[in-house]
Amino acid sequence: MDGVNDDTNNGASFGAKKAPGKVPKRGEGTIVAPDASRLTQAFRLIRGLLRHHKRLFFTAVGCAAVYASCTVFSSVVVRLIIDKVIVPRFEDGHVAARRVVGILGLLVVVGVVRAVGVVGRRMWAGRTSWRVTESLTAEVIERVVAQPVPWHRQQRTGDIITRAGVDAEAATHILNPLPFASSVVLMLILSAVWLLITDIWLGLAAVAVFPLLIALNLTYQRRVDKFYDAAQEELGKLSAAVHESFDGVTVVKSFGAESRETERLSVIASRLRNARFGAISLRSTFEALLDGVPTIINIFLLVAGAYRVRSGAMTIGELTSFIYLFTLLVFPLRLIGFALSELPYSIAGWNRIRELLDQPLVSDPALTLRRHSGNGIDLQGVTYDHDGSREVLRGVDATIPGGRTVAVVGSTGSGKTTLLHLMAGLIAVDQGSITVPQEGCALVFQEPFLLAGSVRENVAMGREVSDDEIRTALVASEAGFVDGFADGLSTIVGERGVGLSGGQRQRIALARALVDRPVALLLDDTTSSLDPGTEARVLANLRDNLRNATVVAVASRPSTIALADDVLYLADGRVVAHGRHDDLLLSVPEYRHLMEAFEHERAEQTAEVLP
Amino acid sequence: MTEPQSRWTAVQMIGKGVDAAPALRRGIGATFGLAMIGSGGRVVVPILVQQAIDRGLQKSKVNVGVVTVLGLIGLAVIIIATVAQRTAVARLGRRSEEALYTLRVRLFEHIHRLSLADHGEERKGALVARVTSDVETLSQFFSWGALAWLLDGTLMVMVAGVMLAYDWTLALVAFATAAPLAFVLRSVQRHLVAAYDTARSRNADVLTAVSEVVSGSETIQAYGAGAHYARLTKRSSHERSNAFIRANTIGAFLFPSGEVFSVLTVAAVVSVGVIRGPGTGLTSGALVGFIFLTYRFLEPIAEFTEVIDQTQTAVAGLRRVLGVLDNPIGPPEPAHPITLPQGMLGVSIENVTFGYRSRGDEDEATVLFDVNAQIPAGQQVAIVGETGSGKTTLGRLIARFADPIIGTVRLGGVPLTAVANDELRTRLVVVPQEPFLFDGTIAANLGFARPMLSIPNLEQAIVELDLSDWLETLPDGLFTQVGQRGDQLSAGERQLVALVRASLVDPDVLVLDEATSSVDALTEVRIGRALDKLAAGRTTIAIAHRLSTAARADRVMVLEHGRLVEDGPHAELVLAGGPYSKMFEAWIAATGSAQS
Repeated sequence: MDGVNDDTNNGASFGAKKAPGKVPKRGEGTIVAPDASRLTQAFRLIRGLLRHHKRLFFTAVGCAAVYASCTVFSSVVVRLIIDKVIVPRFEDGHVAARRVVGILGLLVVVGVVRAVGVVGRRMWAGRTSWRVTESLTAEVIERVVAQPVPWHRQQRTGDIITRAGVDAEAATHILNPLPFASSVVLMLILSAVWLLITDIWLGLAAVAVFPLLIALNLTYQRRVDKFYDAAQEELGKLSAAVHESFDGVTVVKSFGAESRETERLSVIASRLRNARFGAISLRSTFEALLDGVPTIINIFLLVAGAYRVRSGAMTIGELTSFIYLFTLLVFPLRLIGFALSELPYSIAGWNRIRELLDQPLVSDPALTLRRHSGNGIDLQGVTYDHDGSREVLRGVDATIPGGRTVAVVGSTGSGKTTLLHLMAGLIAVDQGSITVPQEGCALVFQEPFLLAGSVRENVAMGREVSDDEIRTALVASEAGFVDGFADGLSTIVGERGVGLSGGQRQRIALARALVDRPVALLLDDTTSSLDPGTEARVLANLRDNLRNATVVAVASRPSTIALADDVLYLADGRVVAHGRHDDLLLSVPEYRHLMEAFEHERAEQTAEVLP
Repeated sequence: MTEPQSRWTAVQMIGKGVDAAPALRRGIGATFGLAMIGSGGRVVVPILVQQAIDRGLQKSKVNVGVVTVLGLIGLAVIIIATVAQRTAVARLGRRSEEALYTLRVRLFEHIHRLSLADHGEERKGALVARVTSDVETLSQFFSWGALAWLLDGTLMVMVAGVMLAYDWTLALVAFATAAPLAFVLRSVQRHLVAAYDTARSRNADVLTAVSEVVSGSETIQAYGAGAHYARLTKRSSHERSNAFIRANTIGAFLFPSGEVFSVLTVAAVVSVGVIRGPGTGLTSGALVGFIFLTYRFLEPIAEFTEVIDQTQTAVAGLRRVLGVLDNPIGPPEPAHPITLPQGMLGVSIENVTFGYRSRGDEDEATVLFDVNAQIPAGQQVAIVGETGSGKTTLGRLIARFADPIIGTVRLGGVPLTAVANDELRTRLVVVPQEPFLFDGTIAANLGFARPMLSIPNLEQAIVELDLSDWLETLPDGLFTQVGQRGDQLSAGERQLVALVRASLVDPDVLVLDEATSSVDALTEVRIGRALDKLAAGRTTIAIAHRLSTAARADRVMVLEHGRLVEDGPHAELVLAGGPYSKMFEAWIAATGSAQS
């Protein structure tokens, strides 16, 4: 038990000590590589990490070298204190004051320089690892935004977030203890040289022990990590089970299953406890050995040293400084184990990042759109049938003249959303072609997504627009409620911002589309979360503000659909009918049934809110 | 749920913690004794060096025999100390994990038995955190902080003892020189904690930024804002690096300050020792021993500054954990339960008033006012009302998920407070609004109602509810995995599982909290069929969200702002001109417009 963790700890988990609560998030992809290739992997990792910020890293290594040299030199000073100060004073009776002051002064100077070395090493090691983290995060995030929607749809969201947010940090973890580890190596070399110079036989004996201690540390680290990983896994299982059980508390209570649930969770908790027992037993043994073995070696050095002193091969001061130096080395030797235990985590993190960065850029689906100077939209034999896609389209032909408002109507799964995403260039057709205005189409999604930030940022989305333009857009989308917020446009919305209703979020999302006055607007069931009055006003505003714009709106309210110039009726990915609402009601029975179903559904939903 | 028990002092709280997990107390004295012996091993080298120099290693004459004997004694001591230390550490570890296990189990039991009022959405996360992260904080404390208190504490006592025994003047010189270190470290530590708090919140910012760029990728791409958001994320990541580098820089001074104080202390001790010289009973061996002891003494101090913080965190965690255990459990079990009569059971609601005590606002708190109703055995009742009218709460009181503040609910004439929980749960079953399924198979979820049932029993129940056709649509039949919270099934299918699950208990009273989520037509039909079968021959109380349900019931109870405003058959209420008839007219108008 010592403060060593702080040396290897990146600080992110400061306070939660590493050894017991080792929680670096590691995906299922923990690299369990054979040892031979682990060295290669480690080398590749470090070379990869040090593409950036080499100077910071070598400054840290330099400071670590100062620390290492001073540590070894301090044993020389101890020898001087004993041989030149204490022994003369106590055996000969006197010692020159100037010599005492000089040697003790040297002790303090060496101690201070050594401390400065430690401070420098830690400062620059931290600097290195955080700056490299920053560079890696930047690389990952640039890659992520460069990949188009089809790529994103193949990924698991949580997986990418982990890679960008956590793995970048995990990968650089190794940079923190690395300068220290390098100084330990230097320290061992210097000590070995110094011990051998002082006394060749005793030196040989002491130096022979180093590998033994390192091996003991590494064995311990490797074995204890397995237990910690196992315990960590059990903890994860317990958390999941507890979560589920408390979520289902109503069911538990309904069936009087409190005791049964407690029993079930206790079993999982006991597995965690047993995994910890294993770690505790191993750890207590090794902790005791790691304290005891160096002491035994020291006793051996002392006894053997007594013979050397008697034969005149060394002085008392030399022997004592020998023992002193050995004591100083025990601590850093233990840290080597800690430092190396970071390696698998960092390699795993690095590999996961490389996997993401090495994926080729998917070509941008927007490039497959044909552009023309008008503002109409033309669909020719549009087919989309990707694996895993719920909505498919089969040969959709439709011409939407500029300036018209078209309602896209169909039951769930008929392909409405896919059609809009194709027109927006988020995904690419498999066959056929889509012709859109030169400037493209502005899409408002079915589920409004507000990013953390102000209303202003959410409407502007990085575009150069003035506050006046933003206000105009908000007025048009009936989002005047923003003026009621104390901070107005600067009000923070999104995950950690003010609570907004679905309808309010949707209206801000709509303003986002309106703010740069699109020539073609795609609304994916955008207005359905608004009450009918607001919806009607929004649609009227659209007509006033965007007089010549083409509007394609997925809709499910008969009242909304009736406002459109034309209806494009889809079923099973095909166009069943394209014409005026009233005509379709008369001529297409399925269409009429669908309208009735829409009405009925809405009535059931509203029954409860009616007074 | 009560907030952390601020009225308890830290010492009282640790006492309560030990009471909650008595394994901690068992053999604690022996553990301390063993740790003390173990720490003895860590002063062997300084003492040995002193003894060797004073007895066998004079410059004038070297007595190898004495040194060898000393070495053998040291060896024996170190072996004993190593074994003692191992035993102490293992004992502490095992006892603490044992204790934390007990604590966890107590928490599971207690939390499951808390009233539903204590299980609100907003508290769920907190309750999970009590059992997982707060107990984990304690576990981390025991595997590091407590160990440091034990080993380093005994070591410092031991070293100080040896120093004082050698030469009390020199010992005092050493203590006085080293003392300011404690203050330096505390102040560095305080800055450090603040700096890491900032850094952690910058870290959260980065994770938020990254997660938004990823989850909002479609929106971002649709508006071509990728570069903009990448820039924002990079800025946030840069600020995180700055914050961590700052914290790291402060932390860099923590350990080296111990180094500086060590050399200062050694210099002070040696100076004083040399000035005093051999005439005062001080030996050269003791002075050399002091050099070693000084390093040993100061080694743990830097660690202690962190241990103190970790201890504070652990005490805070303990406070929260005990706060939960201090919370009274939900409806208490009767001391002398009365057995319910056989056969069908009626429900009577007598002068029932209820409020959620934990909702701060007095006006908001009361949910039901003086509700009275007799529901004869076998009647089909629908309770209707707006959101917030108290209808769900009334259902909960009938199911005894909570007890009324005033008034009584009786089942078959017996007050619910006198019915044993186990019996109640076999006679009355609730089908909740959004049925919760556990991750596992459909069979496992059905078995939750009655664990002893066989697969043929489950199949039989499905046949009885006329759901065989549904079972056939499932890929693996009863062994179909439902996924987390049942998300592999549709909302309607989850309802079906819940209905079968309820039927397995064969209750006399059924409380149905009707689902609001829309369901596809076929499943709707199946639910209707199953409900009819399930309700037949049972007293059924439906918390109705759809007026079509109310229209089919024998009797409708209308709640408004917690008061029962109408009560009677559907046909009568429709004509009565009260709130129900208005509700019904509006509903007819809304559904009718589709036909027009």
